[in-house]
Amino acid sequence: MRKVMTIIRKEYLERVRSKSFLIGTLLGPALMSMFIVLPVLLSNTDNDNARTVGVVDADGGILTLLEAELSDMGRENLTLVPYELGPGGKEAAITELKDAVGKEKLDAGLVIEEDFVKTGEATFFNRSVSAMVMRDEVFRPALDRILREGRFASAAIPDSMFTYLSARTDWSTFSVSTSGVQEKQNEEATFVMAVALIMIIYIMVLIYGNHTLTAVIEEKSSRMVEVLLASVSPGNLMLGKVMGIGLAGLTQFGVWAVAFMAMSQQGVSVGGFSLDVHFLTPLVLVSFVMFFLLGFFLYATLYAGIGAMCNNVQDSQQFNGPLTMGLVLPMMLLSLVLRAPDSTLSTVLSLVPLFAPVLMFMRVCIETPPLWQILLSWGLLAVSIWLAARMAGKLFRMGILMYGSSPTWASLMKVLRD
Amino acid sequence: MNLADKDLPPLGETLLSLRHVSKTYGDKHAARDVNLSIPRGSIYGFLGPNGAGKTTTIRSIMRIILPDTGEITMAGRALQGDLLDRIGYLPEERGLYRKMKCRDQLAYLAELKSVPRGEALTRADSWLDRMGLGDYRDKKVDSLSKGMQQKIQFAATFIAEPVLVILDEVFSGLDPLNIELLREMILAQRDRGVTILFSTHMLAEAEKICDSICLIEDGRVIVDGSMDQVRDEFALHSIKVAWADRSSPPDDLPGVIARQPIEGVWRLTLAEGSDPAALLSALTAAGRLTFYSANRPSLGEIFLAAVARSRQEVSA
Repeated sequence: MRKVMTIIRKEYLERVRSKSFLIGTLLGPALMSMFIVLPVLLSNTDNDNARTVGVVDADGGILTLLEAELSDMGRENLTLVPYELGPGGKEAAITELKDAVGKEKLDAGLVIEEDFVKTGEATFFNRSVSAMVMRDEVFRPALDRILREGRFASAAIPDSMFTYLSARTDWSTFSVSTSGVQEKQNEEATFVMAVALIMIIYIMVLIYGNHTLTAVIEEKSSRMVEVLLASVSPGNLMLGKVMGIGLAGLTQFGVWAVAFMAMSQQGVSVGGFSLDVHFLTPLVLVSFVMFFLLGFFLYATLYAGIGAMCNNVQDSQQFNGPLTMGLVLPMMLLSLVLRAPDSTLSTVLSLVPLFAPVLMFMRVCIETPPLWQILLSWGLLAVSIWLAARMAGKLFRMGILMYGSSPTWASLMKVLRD
Repeated sequence: MNLADKDLPPLGETLLSLRHVSKTYGDKHAARDVNLSIPRGSIYGFLGPNGAGKTTTIRSIMRIILPDTGEITMAGRALQGDLLDRIGYLPEERGLYRKMKCRDQLAYLAELKSVPRGEALTRADSWLDRMGLGDYRDKKVDSLSKGMQQKIQFAATFIAEPVLVILDEVFSGLDPLNIELLREMILAQRDRGVTILFSTHMLAEAEKICDSICLIEDGRVIVDGSMDQVRDEFALHSIKVAWADRSSPPDDLPGVIARQPIEGVWRLTLAEGSDPAALLSALTAAGRLTFYSANRPSLGEIFLAAVARSRQEVSA
């Protein structure tokens, strides 16, 4: 056991002292927050881009109402340019409008037909898909309201009745945990936090799993394997490596966690979302640590086994790819699980050991699955780690002395069968 | 330490013993019923051509591979666990962590042989000084020349103060100066009572350094014993001669079974039990002798003879 400690110590210090660890620790949160904040920021910047839309108002009264609606919606970035009906009438104005859109003088063109309140007809000229988004997000709701108000007015319905009829749902959202406590929660913040934590699990497992792969290959390429195996058993060598590298990963995460806590104490907000520590219930925290550790050990052990088979990083690609898919796939399935977290499909997928660190943890974050499912997934992960360790140990003993020939799937299967 | 010095057998008695060790890969016999007794305090040559089964046997000793059958003991105990910490192993495939500092590297390898950390660091320093690498203590291995790296590897093999050291093709790839340096260090360790298993396919190198040898071919031990015993056993009667007045030996020399020109002289191989005296008179009768030497057989010659003998036995 003392030898395992020696290996853990060496692997740990080697990583923690490296420059890339320092850089990664500093840049990690910046990169990760970019994944989360960037889409939010990008969707917001749409509001800031100045857009010019030409409007032909055949009725003559709608344009003013539309401008009022836009300012109510906070869309000051949109400038409406009126195209007056000249001697050529509506047709000439529309031709002029289309011409301006085509020549990029305008971002889009809008034609409000005669008797708009009766017909509800409008025409939109656009050049790009982003203008379509503008139509759906801005002009459609704005004109809908104008249309509704106009028709209510023409039906002589009093204002009080109008307000009553156009009422909208007033939502209050509570999350109910198994202990029955109700917490008012911020849906968006919860979702962002859950995604952030899953990204941490995903990125850390991917990065540090790959660390074990290269660390094992390094033993072979530096020709240290045989010297080491003369002192320690393959199992202990691997255990020491995986643990040492895992501890380095945990250290990095620890630094981030402390920084995060300090930031949330200060009430710092990221991309418009205040960091919601409230969401971190004990169950979420414990699950996070468990899925982080179990996920890391499962993947790290599998990566180490692959490393034992291969002489260089190029050799390892063919095996590395499918394993990495095990991590990428659940990220792609995330939206499926989000839509129906307690469906049979979601339950089954989230119990698959390779997917569990991402999918089951997502379920824990958003809906708290039955406790037995969480415990079952931990159990399955533990069993898989044990199996993977046995398999990797076998590959280690055999593969580690296989210099020269590049491994193939066939030789991998042969070693495992023997 | 599991194996105290007082538990060791006296110098000259068997330290490491292999009994009926066999290992097959598929249908290839890498080691066939190998029996060895390595005396303590000697340099034991483990010799044979490439692919004869030397490395397989060594890896079996180190438990890097597990033999199919057989028993390996050191000082009378089954060789496993902590006992392996008393063996230093310098494999043919050897290297160092390129990005690690020399001192850390030596200390790490010592710690993996169960030397406590503080002691390991002290020993690393003293070995670096002894190797003349004291100034490179905190330098990465990357910055060392190849010769320096070999010195570090050598130090790493001895740093845990092993009772047995296994050196596999240790001279290959070294220049003559470094070979000489290494040879002196190996002899110095032997004189301190360390037992050395010296595995090589370079018989000429082994001849200069070994006290005892074992020859292995096709996974089978074909000769085993002290250098003197082996030489006596294969006292191959070969002589070298040259005449001033004739370019080739006469055809009717008594007891000569083979002749071969070597470096300007003729090497004559004699039949077993032939009479050297009768030959000498025949040689002088043939012409004026300018050169005569009755050589002790070289390891190379012994090896060839042993292979021939073993093949006869196998086919018989």
